[in-house]
Amino acid sequence: MNDIEVDILLVEDSQDDIDLALHTLRRENLANHIFVVHDGQEALDFLFCSGPYADRNAEHMPKLILLDLKLPKIDGLDVLRQLRAHPRTSTLPVVIMTSSKEEKDVASGYNLGVNSYIQKPVDFEQFRQTVKTIGLYWLLINQRPQNHSTKKLAEPVKP
Amino acid sequence: MSETVTVDQVDVPEIRPIVRFSALLVEDNLADSELVLRELRRGGFEVTCDVVQTADEFRQKLQSTTPDVVLADYNLGSWRGMEALEILRSAGLDIPLILVSGAVGDVTAVECIKQGATDYVLKDSLTRLPASVRRALEEKQVRKERRQAEADLAKKAAELARSNRDLEQFAYVASHDLQEPLRMVAAYTQLLAERYSDQLDENARKYIQYTLEGALRMQTLVQDLLTFSRVGRNRTRTHLASDAAVREALKNLQAALQESGAVVHHGGLPAVGADRMQLVQLFQNLIGNAIKFRGEKAPVITVRAETSESEWVFSVSDNGIGIAAEHLEAVFVIFQRLHTRTEYPGNGVGLAICKKIVEQHGGRIWVESKAGEGASFKFTLPASFADGEMDHTQ
Amino acid sequence: MKEPPDILLVDDNPADVGLTREVLAASTHHSNIHNVPDGEEAIAFLRRRGKYTEAARPDLVMLDLNMPRKGGQAVLAEVKTDPGLRTIPIVVFTTSHADKDITHSYELGANCYVSKPGNLGDYFSAVQSIEEFWFGFTSLPH
Repeated sequence: MNDIEVDILLVEDSQDDIDLALHTLRRENLANHIFVVHDGQEALDFLFCSGPYADRNAEHMPKLILLDLKLPKIDGLDVLRQLRAHPRTSTLPVVIMTSSKEEKDVASGYNLGVNSYIQKPVDFEQFRQTVKTIGLYWLLINQRPQNHSTKKLAEPVKP
Repeated sequence: MSETVTVDQVDVPEIRPIVRFSALLVEDNLADSELVLRELRRGGFEVTCDVVQTADEFRQKLQSTTPDVVLADYNLGSWRGMEALEILRSAGLDIPLILVSGAVGDVTAVECIKQGATDYVLKDSLTRLPASVRRALEEKQVRKERRQAEADLAKKAAELARSNRDLEQFAYVASHDLQEPLRMVAAYTQLLAERYSDQLDENARKYIQYTLEGALRMQTLVQDLLTFSRVGRNRTRTHLASDAAVREALKNLQAALQESGAVVHHGGLPAVGADRMQLVQLFQNLIGNAIKFRGEKAPVITVRAETSESEWVFSVSDNGIGIAAEHLEAVFVIFQRLHTRTEYPGNGVGLAICKKIVEQHGGRIWVESKAGEGASFKFTLPASFADGEMDHTQ
Repeated sequence: MKEPPDILLVDDNPADVGLTREVLAASTHHSNIHNVPDGEEAIAFLRRRGKYTEAARPDLVMLDLNMPRKGGQAVLAEVKTDPGLRTIPIVVFTTSHADKDITHSYELGANCYVSKPGNLGDYFSAVQSIEEFWFGFTSLPH
């Protein structure tokens, strides 16, 4: 576990949403390794390699973080704030995916440096489509920063 | 009447070039020092000389002059001639010291030479002195020349490294900056072709077609050049399993492997010190080529490693179309291709990149092959490295 | 975001601007496209100075890096440290795919980074994807 390279870190406490997101991402073949944490504290422990994740290899940062806002223990905006404050995690792509439509949450998110803010659609099919689009956009179209060790691997070859 | 005259052999010292040098004599006996000087002059030297008696005088003299040779008595009352050697050493001076002394026995003489004295001449065998001095001066000259040669070599190596970096930088910048105008040409030619073709006659369409082909080929050439020039930026060396690198390369080649039905055997490969990305690229290019240049049969590719003294010899062997003897070296030259683009795609940069990677790791790469009989690409990697930055360009 | 949305296209190459405009014109969002050719004009537009006093606040900025006078990274540095401007999403859309440009842009606060593809079809797809993602899926700050 300590050496697996995580593609997406999903920070979400609703099991239904987790299931749907995982199902979509896997079906679209967008990510090989998706790791789920259920609250803000666990998210920070994972990313900063502390607490129960003290043995995690700090060189392996996820390529994308999908972050809910309403989380137990530490909420999403706080997680974001801490990530952006620390040089090792400050450029990690973070996409907030939340049910909140509050304008102040949107503004706070962008103010704190979230890469983008997405409202979770209520509709099942739209939710799926949203997750798929997020995956496509952030993992394929967007170019990721080099976080110390997310070195770009040799390009896959087209036949 | 002729007379034969024989001239007796006269003991004439061999004519040698007059050598001028400066000596520093460490001697408390004036008579002895005069004897030494006389002997040196008889030996064909023009010698300028200072005489000191104590350690302090010695040190002081060294501050104002740099003699070519130091001639020291072994026994100087309050101090020993060997101490002069210490003083020279701690001042970092490369000046030969010859002990000129009364009898002290062979053991002591040998001991002194072991400790760094250049030679030991007895005062009652002073005739040896000139030869000894000559040898000491010659050895010093050789040392000086070698140091100079080493400095020149280091300087040339540094210049070469800088020149290489400049070229890499140039290739990188050139290909980087070429991309935008190339995109303009390619994109708008393509738009012309797509949107105006029905307003153009056959010739115009052909002209546009050729222009577009040229632009697109330039684009891939520039990208390849960029890739080539980037090989070697930000290298780090770590201890890694070459098996894992091969597996990663195979993952990247998945589509090609499936399409060709290729089978790749690998296993038992050693751990090596290398840059991970580059090692993956190396295997990926070699295995990719083995798949690409296949013959009628499905490709069977074997990756092996053998150890040989201080290095590992890797081989990537295939059962493909092979390479004719006269081309075995050319294949590694950048942009050198052996087939037309319609026969096999590619710009001819993959093997040039492999060569660059291998050489940056301090190895060599070559190919063994016969036309029609598959090819075996081999490369070496030194067997042991410490982790860290590689500096084979230094 | 407002309807129709405003996009500020910061790019000095009219050929690329032409391509981008074509793609955006064909989309359902019918965005208003504003183009400025360099970083100084971009800042003036965003701060509504000089001839830009009536300028709309963009819902999205597409930012090239390599421009005369003031480059894209200088724009990022200024905008993302200004509390009044930093919530505006900025997509760096540029020729370079050099790691150092990518990383540096993120460090300066770029929301994302897309390299302009060399191939025409891919270029069109990239612009479409950018627009569709930011206007079709993302919630933008007002």
